[in-house]
Amino acid sequence: MDKIKQNPIVKKLGFNRIVLVAVMLVMYFAFCALVPGFFGSAHILGALNYVYFLGFLSLGVTFVIATGGIDFSIGPVMFCCALISGYTLMKFGVPMILCLIFSVLIGFCFGLWNGYLVAYWTVPPFIVSMASMNIAKGLAAVYTKTQSVSWPRSTDPNGWFRNLVMLGKIPMGLIIFLVAAAICSFVLNNTKFGRYILCLGSNREAVRLSGVNTKKWEMFAYVMCGLLVGIAAIFFVGVYTTVQPGYGDQYNNEAIAGCVMGGTSMVGGLASIGGTVIGVLIISLLQEGILALKMTKDVQLIITGIIVIVAVYADVSARRRKN
Amino acid sequence: MGEVILEMKEIDKSFPGVHALDHVSFDVKCGEVHALMGENGAGKSTLMKVLTGIYSKDSGSIIFDGKEIEFHSTREAQEAGIVIVHQELNMIGDLTVAQNIFIGREPKKGFRIDDKKMIEDSKALFDRLKIHIDPTEKMSELTVGKQQMCEIAKAISHNAKVIIFDEPSAALTEKEIEDLFAIIRDLRSQNLGIVYISHRMDEIKVITDRVSVMRDGTYVGTLITEDCTKEDIINMMVGRVIYEKPKEKSLVAKDAPVVLKVEHLNAGHMVQDISFELKKGEILGFSGLMGAGRTETARAIFGADPKQSGEIYINGKKVEINSPEDAVKNGIGYLSEDRRRYGVVVQKTIIENSTLACLEDYTNGAVINKGKEKEITEKFIKEMDTKTPSSDQLVMNLSGGNQQKVVITKWLVKNCDILIFDEPTRGIDVGAKSEIYKLMNALTAEGKSIIMISSEMNEILRMSDRIIVMCEGKKTGEIAIEEATQELIMDKATRDIVA
Repeated sequence: MDKIKQNPIVKKLGFNRIVLVAVMLVMYFAFCALVPGFFGSAHILGALNYVYFLGFLSLGVTFVIATGGIDFSIGPVMFCCALISGYTLMKFGVPMILCLIFSVLIGFCFGLWNGYLVAYWTVPPFIVSMASMNIAKGLAAVYTKTQSVSWPRSTDPNGWFRNLVMLGKIPMGLIIFLVAAAICSFVLNNTKFGRYILCLGSNREAVRLSGVNTKKWEMFAYVMCGLLVGIAAIFFVGVYTTVQPGYGDQYNNEAIAGCVMGGTSMVGGLASIGGTVIGVLIISLLQEGILALKMTKDVQLIITGIIVIVAVYADVSARRRKN
Repeated sequence: MGEVILEMKEIDKSFPGVHALDHVSFDVKCGEVHALMGENGAGKSTLMKVLTGIYSKDSGSIIFDGKEIEFHSTREAQEAGIVIVHQELNMIGDLTVAQNIFIGREPKKGFRIDDKKMIEDSKALFDRLKIHIDPTEKMSELTVGKQQMCEIAKAISHNAKVIIFDEPSAALTEKEIEDLFAIIRDLRSQNLGIVYISHRMDEIKVITDRVSVMRDGTYVGTLITEDCTKEDIINMMVGRVIYEKPKEKSLVAKDAPVVLKVEHLNAGHMVQDISFELKKGEILGFSGLMGAGRTETARAIFGADPKQSGEIYINGKKVEINSPEDAVKNGIGYLSEDRRRYGVVVQKTIIENSTLACLEDYTNGAVINKGKEKEITEKFIKEMDTKTPSSDQLVMNLSGGNQQKVVITKWLVKNCDILIFDEPTRGIDVGAKSEIYKLMNALTAEGKSIIMISSEMNEILRMSDRIIVMCEGKKTGEIAIEEATQELIMDKATRDIVA
């Protein structure tokens, strides 16, 4: 058997990721050329504001997609977390830290619920997450009596949580996100949990017949996703302050786009956290650029929709070539 | 034999990390059956896939009917007259025989499908093959043998000039194989060129005119079947003489303890009231025809499928096995007959597959100890002589025999005491086969116990210390190896069917 040589640097980083970084740079300079004054820290910080919460959504859904599943409830669940914990803070004046923990806990519960239904009741993930999306929206609206919820401003005594996003001039949000991504990458590639979910995403039956409790690990993937969505909610309100019940759907697409663009396969078994991070950066830059071009949010919906299709098509056709 | 109808010259093909075909040449004449043989991973299937347009070649040329050609899909190849009859049948069970044969090119009457013409054309095809199948019957109602006949009928309906049979006899009964051979002889007399891929040496002698042998992606040579012996062919395939006689007597000590006892196991109609004992260091052969319920029995014991009733004792202690997880905890390992679906995770590396059954032994807390994992895997790669460039190669890139070794590695890394080997050498070449036999003997010598399910009579007689015969979900015989003969086993395996 002759081994066919590949450039070691390309192999290490992955051809895919090199292309993605190139795409991101081209996009950035294109926006700089098109929009006067785009160059500079203001717009980069604008894009980063988007990265903070979308990043956590994308990291979460990466675990689910790795199992071969899908979660369309992440956006609305994030809103649900922000609304219910924020409303509790507003009405009952619980300490801020409990409120943040509460948000993560709500995310965890949704993850557990989705995961249990998918793994143990074998309801298709598509259906479960569609239903959960509506449950999340409904629950939040009922609890808040359909009022929007505003989180404390930085001047308020409870506003300290905004330091998680921006501590003076330091973008804490970015640091926290990158640390979280590094942890996720470690979990996915170096722990039993990560190994099992990637393997079961690739061939569930072979893993089950190796004596692994596939149901349990599959459920954990959704739980992991839920936890990260709960964290995403904190960063969302840290940036945008006000949350309105009944929304959140658009972030599903953007988070999934970031994930599949980074090389995570929609049929499961292959996932790359590094890819997801770059994917999220691209999506965030895109949204900042589009707004700077004075186009509406709707244009961005069209573009992310197309990105999802192209990324999935690229994945599918790469597989076909391999076989 | 007539003139050369198909000639493949200097075909070269590489996949990432593997040079699959190294300037291979192969030709087929009109009116001949040309056997293509070689160990698994020798490149037979790849060569045929290049021919029929599933893969594109890197270099070389294909000359068919006097013209140089290159197909881009099996459809193009079909239209030109080169058809493959696959090992796994590609039929749609809910459609009728005629609908399956003419799928995608149904005769039309206006906008409607002309059912009458389709049925008549099917009948004409079956007449040409001298077989009797009702074209209006549902495909799922037919036996595997009949389904294969339909596949052949479909092939000749394309006006095929060359038909490739890829291990056609793997799932057939003796009688069905005879029918298949009659058809093949008939096609030969109609001046078609036939390529016959098989691992069964005796069939090659019976049906083929010439034999070409491949090894490790290269062409070794071509022999006239009449002038060569089995040993000649095997030597070309592996480069060494392999021949072993059936086992003469049980190697298990008389007083060896019982490690596994199964009592009154019931699971669906394929597993009815099965009881048996497995002793320490024993190879217990499970013989029977296809569909006798052997795999179902194994899966029920392993907890892969639910069982209705029955008790399982390990080392005299009753155990509850309701899932593969329970079985593995109790030291049972199961090697499935369908490696790719149930054995390996092909997209993952050898290392990841090897430790899949006992990852907890290779972790500190939740974190995997990658060094330790690599070490044990490489130890087994060396011991089992698994052919791979490295331990982090994806299993996808290995040949069938080597994939099987990875599955066995998985259970050895787990250190299971009871191993269920379901068709351990199916689709595996002669060389790797004898390695797996040697390995099984080494394992039982170490005190492990093996249940071996096999449809190959030779394998059963050569490896087993004791033989259990099943037929249609029931245990119909238990034979000591000293008394076992092919005739006796066959008698038990067919008893219910004949009666």
